[in-house]
Amino acid sequence: MREAVVSAEKLSKSFGHKEVLHDITAVAEAGDVIGVLGKNGAGKTTLLEVLLGFGPPTSGSAKVFGEESMHLSERAKARIGFVPQQDELIEMLTGEQQLKVTSAFYRSWDHALTGRLISEWEIPMDRAILKLSPGERQKLALVLALGHRPDLLVLDEPVASLDPIARRAFLKQLVDITGGEQRTVLFSSHIVSDLERAANKIWIVKHGRLIWQGELDALKESVVRLHVRGRRELESGLGIPNALSERIRGTRATVAVAAWNPAEQARLAARLDADIEAEPLGLEEIFVELHA
Amino acid sequence: MFILNPQSGTPIYRQLMDQVRRLVASGQLPPGAPLPSVRELALEHAVNPMTISKAYHLLELEGVLVRNRGKPMTVAARAQKAAPREQRRRQLDADIRELVLAARQLELEKEDIVALIDEHWEDEDARSGRQRRKT
Repeated sequence: MREAVVSAEKLSKSFGHKEVLHDITAVAEAGDVIGVLGKNGAGKTTLLEVLLGFGPPTSGSAKVFGEESMHLSERAKARIGFVPQQDELIEMLTGEQQLKVTSAFYRSWDHALTGRLISEWEIPMDRAILKLSPGERQKLALVLALGHRPDLLVLDEPVASLDPIARRAFLKQLVDITGGEQRTVLFSSHIVSDLERAANKIWIVKHGRLIWQGELDALKESVVRLHVRGRRELESGLGIPNALSERIRGTRATVAVAAWNPAEQARLAARLDADIEAEPLGLEEIFVELHA
Repeated sequence: MFILNPQSGTPIYRQLMDQVRRLVASGQLPPGAPLPSVRELALEHAVNPMTISKAYHLLELEGVLVRNRGKPMTVAARAQKAAPREQRRRQLDADIRELVLAARQLELEKEDIVALIDEHWEDEDARSGRQRRKT
């Protein structure tokens, strides 16, 4: 097993009486690019923040590089790059000044990398951050998070205000900085197609619970939509194991199924007296079905 | 060289494997031909490099590709390639399933698909100038 870079064990978090995260156990191993997917308000941001130690879990534990997240050593902190949803740039400064301030915190800073990204992403560095567009600010925040070449990069909705061209450029950058090195990335997004490209693993958060975690490929291979064509009228409650949703019209039905086992298909077809086709689903449709 | 659709229900690594196999089978990637590096492909398509290396690794296990130290992977010599016929047939399962599904949505019959396959088979023979091998 590779090094556990981020881990949560039976982690729960409440604010007052409101439980935001419930019993989450998960690991990000070195080299993983994990896409954290969930509806707005599902608990993605809180999960990332508790994992990084911005607040204590109500119960259970959160660790980064094997250290308790609430008590990370300076050494561990220096190996993390984080871009929050709301950036923490100093609005009065110009990009250039902010770069100086941020890079001064770190013992080593890859000026060649940040310089290259700034010109590739066309970030105006001589203007006050206050005057930048949301997309420009987001790009600047990303550059500043990459400059110390962190081993762990945590990005909360990193591309929300970028246009499709800039998003693609960002994803390529992500591929570029992760490929070859054992860098771990945890990034939340509701833009499913981005996660689908960049992530090798997916965590799906729903109402504060981690309802799915694992390889994206495995997820795609295990969730299918069955198209059932009965020889007689079908009755509701087809009783298909692990069904996520079921729609029946006359002799036809479509049923989304999790943990699908292709070996079951023939037996199911015989039981329902129907022809059955299994259609593989993209992540977006899987996400929708998991919320049905 | 490859058409990868991340939004598809078919995982990217499978799409890539299918396409490499096809290019090898059709002779467009002859024995010894180099494949793009993992990094090149990952960057070109903005997809996770692990997805690409997974496909390459599985193709290596199948004997379709050969790993070369410090050099790009290459297509294996033909002798090493020949997997049992049954195994090669199963590699088409996913594509056939998709085809059958689409045909049914179009309310076509099995004969229609068979006829279409015949047509395309001939076309491909003509295009690649390849003699159909007798089995």
